Amino acid sequence: MKRFLTLFTVILVLTVFVSTGFAQKPAEQKAVEAPKEAQSAETVTVSVDKTNLSGGGKLTITGKAPAGKDVYIEVWAEKTVRAARLDADPDPKTGKRPYIFYMTDDMPAFYRLIVPEKYKPVLEDAKSKGGKWSVSEVIKNAGADAVYGYPAKLKIDRYQTSLWASIIGSRGAKLEPMDEKENKRRSMQLLKARFRSVGNVFSSNLKIAEDGTFKATIELPANTAPGKYFVVAKVDKDIKSEPVVVENSVTFPSVYLPNAGRTVNVIWPFLLTAAITTFGVLMGAGGGFILNPILVMLGLPHTVVAGTVMPTVLFSQGTGIYNYSKIKFINWKLGVTLGLAMLAGGFIGPKLTELITLEQYKFLFGWVLIILAALMFWQTTPRYLEKNKKEQAILKEYQKRAQEAAKKKAEGGK
Amino acid sequence: MKIEFWGQEFKVNLAIGIPGAFLIAIASSMFGFGGGPFMVPLMAVGLRLPMYVIVGSSLLAIFFNTLMGTFRHYGFGNFDPIFFLIMFPAAILGGYIGPKIAKKLNPVMVKRVACVGLLILALQLLGVF
Repeated sequence: MKRFLTLFTVILVLTVFVSTGFAQKPAEQKAVEAPKEAQSAETVTVSVDKTNLSGGGKLTITGKAPAGKDVYIEVWAEKTVRAARLDADPDPKTGKRPYIFYMTDDMPAFYRLIVPEKYKPVLEDAKSKGGKWSVSEVIKNAGADAVYGYPAKLKIDRYQTSLWASIIGSRGAKLEPMDEKENKRRSMQLLKARFRSVGNVFSSNLKIAEDGTFKATIELPANTAPGKYFVVAKVDKDIKSEPVVVENSVTFPSVYLPNAGRTVNVIWPFLLTAAITTFGVLMGAGGGFILNPILVMLGLPHTVVAGTVMPTVLFSQGTGIYNYSKIKFINWKLGVTLGLAMLAGGFIGPKLTELITLEQYKFLFGWVLIILAALMFWQTTPRYLEKNKKEQAILKEYQKRAQEAAKKKAEGGK
Repeated sequence: MKIEFWGQEFKVNLAIGIPGAFLIAIASSMFGFGGGPFMVPLMAVGLRLPMYVIVGSSLLAIFFNTLMGTFRHYGFGNFDPIFFLIMFPAAILGGYIGPKIAKKLNPVMVKRVACVGLLILALQLLGVF
């Protein structure tokens, strides 16, 4: 254990050494120009109280900016995730829905724009709007338009989608890249699509003193991505500090889910899945109905939940089919005919997961569950049970016969 | 379409079966679940087939959907390998424990509990509370 710790410390020291070494390089280059900037007093410096975190934690950011100016701090993770949004809002002039699908794979897994404390009411106002808040409005009202920097430059792809494109399973025709201004505007919408709430994008925990010194605190949540975090303080588009790098590490049993973009403790999803699939077997349905909404409510992206739960049941379905086929309990003609129709449906569905928003996912899933609850209720009515009893008896009889037939065949084979 | 099952002959109304299976597959692959609890009532009520015909064949039909859905989700980048590695053994464990407990429980009771649970979950998703 002790040796392990020593090794860990050595690695940690090395990482710090390497990362600060990298961070210092641009700083040294800058030092040559420094006197010129010092004259105009238009420099911003920033530092953090720790450069290493384990499983998130509190970070205090301090620095100095020209006196009397508003300072903003951007923090983002090097790890990236996907963010997507279908723009189907009617054009205010023509009333036509554009159906353009915006997608980026470069969204940082963590992003926070810390605005001066005096803009707290702006954030409160956005929070009070519930799901209807908008990133661009907060940025405008908090005077952060010029300092909103990192996400504005994300590489965003956009596709002209259509009903037909969805049916054949394509994202649609890729459109020309956007200009800088449009890219910035769309990046704000994608920020909301990814991080959902005001508090996940903005914070107002930043105190600025009269002499221009400032102090901010930020809490990196325990479920945040490992790797480098960059901290930049800005007064204006061009007046900004060099990025400071903070390294966050994640240790087992916590693991980082690269596609979901968050860290989880292995034990919880394991226990949850085991408990729900057990219950699923009991109620005669797969566990997906219960598992998926719970995972979505816990904050995992609905696309990742749908795309990852589906393959987990593939295996149990396969064994089920094998067991039934052994006792000749599958009518292949019926199964394959309906299966082909389902094959076509299964081709279209996953495309739709990508197009709908989280709110639409929750709304539709809510109704699906109500229908399912009604079906479950119907299966507990006396009439159904009476009919089911007879059929279960026949089922058992057939199974017995099938087993006997199989036995005879095996004996005959000898 | 006519099918034969253990010497008995059944008529299957494909005008209901095919569109029904198609729509169930779209919905279930979109939300990422199997679709079994919807296929079984479709075949029992819509196609008027007895349960012993349904159990195996519905599973086969759903397997097509799950297989295609898995590939499509993978293609769209919705698959998280680490998350899969956590859930997969848990799902197998659940599939192993489930049938062992099943014999000791009253299936009607289980369904009633499920019914209430699903309703609570549904109302939460719809934002009622």
